[in-house]
Amino acid sequence: MTEKFLPVQDYLPDSGTYELLPFKFEPVGADEVILTNLTGEFLYLKREKLDSLVSHRLAPSDADYRALRARHFIRQPNDRATLDLLALKTRTRLSRLANFTNLHLFVVTLRCDHACHYCQVSRQSEDRQSFDMSEETADRALDLVFRSPNPAIKIEFQGGEPLLNFPLVRYVVEKAEQRNRVERRDLQFVVATTLSMVTDEILEFCRVHGIHISTSLDGPEDLHNRNRPRPGRDSHRKFTDGLKKARDVLGYDAVSAVMTTSPASLPRAREIVDEYIEHGFDSIFLRPLSPYGFAIKTKSYQAYDAGSWLEFYRAGMDYIIDLNKRGVRFVEHYSSVILKKMLTNDDPMFVDLMSPCGAGISAVVFNYDGDVYASDESRMLNEMGDATFKLGNVHSDSYRDIFASDALLSVLEDSFASSAPMCSDCAFEPWCGADPVFHHATQGDILGRKPESEFCKRMMGMIRYLLDVMRADPQAKSIFMTWVNS
Amino acid sequence: MMKKIKMIRLELDRSIYSDEAVQKAAYRFIDRFAAIVSRADNSIVVEITFGTESSNQREHVVADFKKELLDQNLRLRIKTETEAVRNLILAYAFSKSGLQE
Repeated sequence: MTEKFLPVQDYLPDSGTYELLPFKFEPVGADEVILTNLTGEFLYLKREKLDSLVSHRLAPSDADYRALRARHFIRQPNDRATLDLLALKTRTRLSRLANFTNLHLFVVTLRCDHACHYCQVSRQSEDRQSFDMSEETADRALDLVFRSPNPAIKIEFQGGEPLLNFPLVRYVVEKAEQRNRVERRDLQFVVATTLSMVTDEILEFCRVHGIHISTSLDGPEDLHNRNRPRPGRDSHRKFTDGLKKARDVLGYDAVSAVMTTSPASLPRAREIVDEYIEHGFDSIFLRPLSPYGFAIKTKSYQAYDAGSWLEFYRAGMDYIIDLNKRGVRFVEHYSSVILKKMLTNDDPMFVDLMSPCGAGISAVVFNYDGDVYASDESRMLNEMGDATFKLGNVHSDSYRDIFASDALLSVLEDSFASSAPMCSDCAFEPWCGADPVFHHATQGDILGRKPESEFCKRMMGMIRYLLDVMRADPQAKSIFMTWVNS
Repeated sequence: MMKKIKMIRLELDRSIYSDEAVQKAAYRFIDRFAAIVSRADNSIVVEITFGTESSNQREHVVADFKKELLDQNLRLRIKTETEAVRNLILAYAFSKSGLQE
């Protein structure tokens, strides 16, 4: 007969002996530390308790003992499921890695009608068709796309302004759909466009084929136009007109927007959020400038450091939390990625916040000329004369040549944050990631010297902010829980 | 005029501090000072060189560094004690992934 109850010895008082499970800690304030385990679960502990814990002197009657045991920081000799649970949670967090590449970026043209100071691509004038992707290149790229074992394939069209080469977008969508009748993947399309050149005909094609639009909104009209100069200085008006048209045809949820923080954006976080709300968006991505392309050439990138961006971020977040408390549901995506790692066992696999990094294994870029890059940022670096992260070319290299290239494998190997200097003993590492392209660009070193890294300062600042908010404000924590569970 | 080099020397008892802990602590501070770590008899010697910081700032940074030394020592104890179980968990986590050959 099967036993319905555990044997009586399981209910005897705890002996007080326990085994430490892997965890890291970081000081928070003068007399406290925060502990994180392998799967990113965390708790706060007084300093003297940490010493007792590590010296095996913490009594089972101690208030923190139960929390430490429940969150897998310690286990007692009779705890049978602890290791199984930790392994299961670890495997769950990493499960998406096995699917390999999901996001495939097609740079269908480098031409653009805008001349943004911080643009991450070296755009060319509108009339130079030598910077357009050809059908032959697109066919070769599609061959590689469908070699990915991932059951979900997302193809994102980028530029320049991809609408300037819309015949190729149309071609790729139709070809991909044709192949997918056999492949039967979960196939999605996104066009990243400023909407300045959108037409009824383009939108009708997007509607028929379920194509989503990712557009750009940098803030109020004067800021947006300043950041995004174009002939006529009417980028914001064109965006507003295009947004209305796109929503009318595609529906409200088919259009999302991203913003870039220029130096002029820094004092205007609240206004930027208000602008998003005014246009009916329910989320924002407070995205810092990256040290590539025109951001370097025009010195926009050097115009502010991680500290200044963090002030902007905190001001924006304070306001967003306040809005949520007043009943306006509005999500900040950058925080949301980190919070998901803090508060769930899921890892959203955001390319810049993965360990190993998402280059190639989460996203891959096909440039207009057939060159393949590990990430969009790798492509920018190549435009600046640095081909470190170029993986090959669709016309001359096979899938194996590209995805088993030294350029990719060595980056992946060097980007395991859990074995990187300083990251390996940082308690925030389970919530962080590796950005080898950023560190290569700024420090000439894929691993990066983290104490001097702007990436590290930014991540530490964001994580400490989120921790402080959750601790001081239970209502804010509840709001964050809705962000990560939706 | 030659700038005066601001150097501070710490001698740490090797029976208390490990080489690894000292090196890790020094690495965390490379944005604040330059350090040379060496051995002398039963000590680990850390020679710290500052840039243009004031004497107050230097004292503050060195105090933080001393705390970091203790933290790194503790981190090492935890790592050593939990290494086997960490490897066990990771091996178990990947054992059903189909990734291993």
